[in-house]
This record gives sequence, structure tokens and C-alpha cells, in this order.
Amino acid sequence: MGLPDKKGHYGIYGGRYVSETLMPAIFELEEFYKKIKHDKGFKDEFYGYLRSYAGRPTPLYYASRLSAQYNAEIYLKREDLNHTGAHKINNTIGQALLAVKMGKKRVIAETGAGQHGVATATVCALFNLECEIFMGSKDIERQKQNVFRMELLGAKVTPVESGSATLKDAMNEALRDWITNVATTYYMIGTVAGPHPYPEIVRDFQSVIGKEVLKQVDKQPDILIACIGGGSNAIGLFYPFLKYKDVKMYGIEAGGFGIETGKHAASISGGKPGVLHGNKTYLLQDEDGRIKEAHSIAAGLDYPGVGPEHSYFADDKRIIYDNVTDFEAVSAFLMLCKLEGIIPALESAHAIAYLNKIKGGIKGKMVIINLSGRGDKDMHIISDYLMSKKV
Amino acid sequence: MNRIDNLFKSFKKDKKTAFIPFISIGDPDIKMSFEIVKALINNGADIIELGFPFSDPMADGKVIQRSYQRALKNHVSMRDAFDFIKKIRKVSDIPVIFFTYYNPVFFYGASRFAKDAQNTGIDGILTVDLPPEESDELKEFTDREGIDQIFLLAPTSDAGRIKHILSYAKGFVYYVSVTGVTGARSVLPRQLQEKVKEIKKIKDIPVGIGFGISSNKQAKEISAYADAVIIGSKIIQFIENNLNDKNKILKDIAEFSSDIKSSLL
Repeated sequence: MGLPDKKGHYGIYGGRYVSETLMPAIFELEEFYKKIKHDKGFKDEFYGYLRSYAGRPTPLYYASRLSAQYNAEIYLKREDLNHTGAHKINNTIGQALLAVKMGKKRVIAETGAGQHGVATATVCALFNLECEIFMGSKDIERQKQNVFRMELLGAKVTPVESGSATLKDAMNEALRDWITNVATTYYMIGTVAGPHPYPEIVRDFQSVIGKEVLKQVDKQPDILIACIGGGSNAIGLFYPFLKYKDVKMYGIEAGGFGIETGKHAASISGGKPGVLHGNKTYLLQDEDGRIKEAHSIAAGLDYPGVGPEHSYFADDKRIIYDNVTDFEAVSAFLMLCKLEGIIPALESAHAIAYLNKIKGGIKGKMVIINLSGRGDKDMHIISDYLMSKKV
Repeated sequence: MNRIDNLFKSFKKDKKTAFIPFISIGDPDIKMSFEIVKALINNGADIIELGFPFSDPMADGKVIQRSYQRALKNHVSMRDAFDFIKKIRKVSDIPVIFFTYYNPVFFYGASRFAKDAQNTGIDGILTVDLPPEESDELKEFTDREGIDQIFLLAPTSDAGRIKHILSYAKGFVYYVSVTGVTGARSVLPRQLQEKVKEIKKIKDIPVGIGFGISSNKQAKEISAYADAVIIGSKIIQFIENNLNDKNKILKDIAEFSSDIKSSLL
């Protein structure tokens, strides 16, 4: 795969759409990463931390009761068993190593639900880096426990009041901080979005997921499913499988209340190409090109954009993108709790929900679902949802 | 030769520095922002820079963020912005720079945007998040319509980068005086003059300085070596400090504007 090209484009998507002040920092990161990414010492160090600190490799678990229910062979890639409870740590370990080697002393990051914030705060403690996390004030209200976790880990959590006071505004504020403190600060983006080279860097670090699966299976799977917010867990699973043309891949966006209601976070299914946060990609936007607020019950999917590589594969049709609603995700969440004794993150429940919707069904097929995170963080959201609705 | 080139040419001959005020279209409302533009034109503005309000202004400080949020409540569409500039054209021939984030332009369609901008009387466009590396997709059309694409240079741009950007620059180049977002600062970096010299050595192009300028003292100092002084946040503060008193907004902005203009060398 030759993507991205030299200028960081994935077909017409991706690129480097940032203000001039940041361009040198982006070039610096690109050059540094180019030099180090094939370096054996760097790779050994990265995989070493993944093993001894994050707890990798994560199991590929055969879900027997779920399989019986669907008359299929269903496996769950247990990213929920990682340290900090999700796949996010794969990326933050990699980027923290980059930051240290680049001589940066301070790390900033944006967070929505707080999972990337926690994973960032964690590695900053591990590598003794100053850490500031930008988080929308609405999200702080919704995710108090994660705020406390970040603070325990030594991070400063800065509330963002501007705009819709959610993830996209946190990212705006992180970019503003980076513009101001660019000489000393490393910006640790949490997903496969942002200006080049971030989508490539995050994809490479997350690809450990798919590489492990390739070693864990004894035959070629028929179907891969992963949820998509920015899309880092999905690309992490899919990327090493792209060359196997018979493997069908499904990226599942958050349909919220349903695409037709306009209240969703499905940038590919319900958005149009545009430019935000440094890259060209599918975005939720109004008729004047302003960014719309996203909605999803899963805070980690609640973002009005998606990684540019996903936009490319959506047009290319190599990966099929679809969505499930809040209701369908919660139903799948409850099903997995009861059938397998696994409480998934609401984000990952979107991928599970898609088992019901695959065209042609999955009878007799081998399916791998990326269980990207665990659901402990979602207890209060689920309980509120169940109280207000009957699922 | 468009209006921007003509202005800098005549200012160079007279050894004058241009004053470029910035406001957002539609803040506090469309009608009032037109009155503000008139007040600026009547009190010393040489070029007008108009911001198209955006939902996610990553490169802007709090004052312009709030300005955009007020303007967005008035649902300023691209069509409204063009109508706004057409109205200016009826009363003035002042050069107009359209300042925007790239997405609204991309969404409108780069070709269509450039054509309509030309018909409207826009002379230059500054897309803050469209560096030279990505600018070809717009350049083709702005070149065709004779609209200048204005580029930014930052304190973080090294000599090689400055040279690269200057090879794209038209009209004038906008030097960002501080490493940071827009917004008034009481102290500006010292090495500004050297930076301007460095730029001029590479290309004979007018240099405007903006970001952080808020007083006539700063403006005067900068006018000794720069071709234009750009002020935004400080002017917008007069709007947000007097939202309930339109006369005071106009009076304060008129006073500030003529004060700046008279201090420029």
C-alpha cells in the first residue's frame, strides 16, 4: 500500500491544512518519524512496552455463545484487556516514545470521553512528561470519573468552554496551545486524524492489533468489524488485512438517533468531504461549510469527522461503512454482557450490533470483531439510558 | 494590477504605511458591521480585512472566537458575505481582503468561490489553514480571477521556509508577529524589524504585520519598517465591550482608527 503519498494525501483526502506557525513542527515530526520508524531499536522498545506495560498481545477470544446465537464463528479481539481499558494505549506509548526522543518535555492532547486523555496521562507519568489535557466542559460534566483518573495520573485537565464545548472544541483548543507553545510541546493526537503525518503515525502504532490477529488465526477470516469514531481501532485491525482481497471489512459509525434525524456522528454515511483539524475528510457540516455538532451515546464516537484514510477507502469501497443507532448499540451491549460475561465499551458495542445487519447474513462465516474497549466507563450512561427507555 | 498592488505601489512612492483593520462580517449583526466598515473607511483604513465567521477558528484567540460566535447567530452565509462586500463596493473602492478558514471555501467550491469573489470585488483572500503545500487547489482559480492569495509567515518559519512561501505570495505577505493565536498583546517581540529585512532581502514584496498589535505606540514603531499594520482583536473589543450601545461602538472604533492612522509613519 503506497498510502499516504509524499504530501500526506490519501487520494483526495488527508494533507496538511494548518496555519503557518505549525508547519515547521509538522515537518519536524514527519522527518523524525521517517527516520525512526524502521529503526530496530525503536521498534524493540515500542513492542517491549506494549508487552510489559500494556499487557499485549491481547487475546483473540472465540465467543462460543455469541457464535451459537448467530450460527457463525465469531471471535473478539480483546483490546478491552489492555492497560487503561482500550486500544488507545497502543498509540500513546508509541507517540510518547517519539516525544521523548524528540526532546519534548511537555505533552498536550484533546479528549472526548476521556479515554485518550487517560491513556495520554498514563504514558506521561510513565515517561515523566508534563501533561495537559483539553476537554470540553460538557464532556467533563459527563465523564467526571475520567477527569479524576487523569488528575491522579498527574495531568492538568483544562476545560474548554468555546463552541459546543465537546471533543471538536477540545481539539481546537489543543491546536491553539500547540500554536503558542510549539517549540517545547508535543501534540499527542488520539486518532487517525489531524494533519499529516498523524494519521500515518497513529495507524502504524495501532496496526499492532491486526498484526497480532494475523498470527492468532489459523485460517483467513471472512469478515472484520470495527466501530469508527476517528477510526483508529478500525484501521489498526484492518490495515494488515487490506492485502487479503477476500476479507470483507465493515467500519461502523455511530448512527445516534438515526441518520435521518440529523442527530448522529456518522461522518461518512451522513456527511460530506471538507477540511477540519488539519485534514481533508468526510465531515458533518451545514450548507455554509460550518461544522455541525455530532451526537452519539458513545462519547468516543461523538466527533463530526473521521480519519482521512477511511474517507479514501469509503470512496474506494474496499471497506464498507455503515452505521447503527444508539438503540441498536445498547441492545448489543446488553447481549454481550449476558452471553459472554464481557461488558464492552459503548463504542465497541456498535461493532457488535452490526452482526444483525450484514447483508447476506453471517451464517457459517468466520467473523472477527474488534472489542476496542471495556465498558466500565459507561455504567452511568447505560443506567440512565435504561431508566429512560425500555430496551 | 489589482487594488492591493496599486495601493502598495503608491504608498511605497509616498513612503507611507497602510492601516488594515479586521472585523468579522455579521458581528454584532450584518447591518451594524456594515456601519463599522464605513466608520473604518472614513477614519483611516487603507485596506479592509473581513472575516467570514467559522465554527472552529483554530488559529484565533478568544476575542475573535467570540466575535465569530456572535456573527454565527446571525446565520451569515457565503452569499450574505458577498452581498455585504457588494454593498461596500457601492460606497468605496477600498481594497478588500477576505479572511476565512478553508472549509467554507472548499464546500462552496473553489472555482465558484473565486468567480463570485471576483464579481463581488474581493481583491485578496487569506485562508489561514491553507499553507502553500495545499494551496494549488485554490490558486488555479484565484489566479484566473486575478485575486491575490495572501500567505502568512510566522516566527517559526526559517529561511528556507520563508523563501518557499514567498515564491507563492502575491499582493503582500502577512507576517505573524507572535508565536500564538490572534489577540492583543502589550509587548511584541523585538526581532520584528530584522525579520522584515530578512523577508525583503528574498523578495521585494510589501510586508504587513499582524497578531497582537493593540496600541498606536506599537503601530508607530512597526510602521518604521513595515508596509502595513493589521489590527483585529483590539477593534473587536470595542464591539464586545459595548454590545448594547451601537453609537459608542462606532464612536470608539472611529477614534481608535484615526488615532492609529495618524500615528503611522
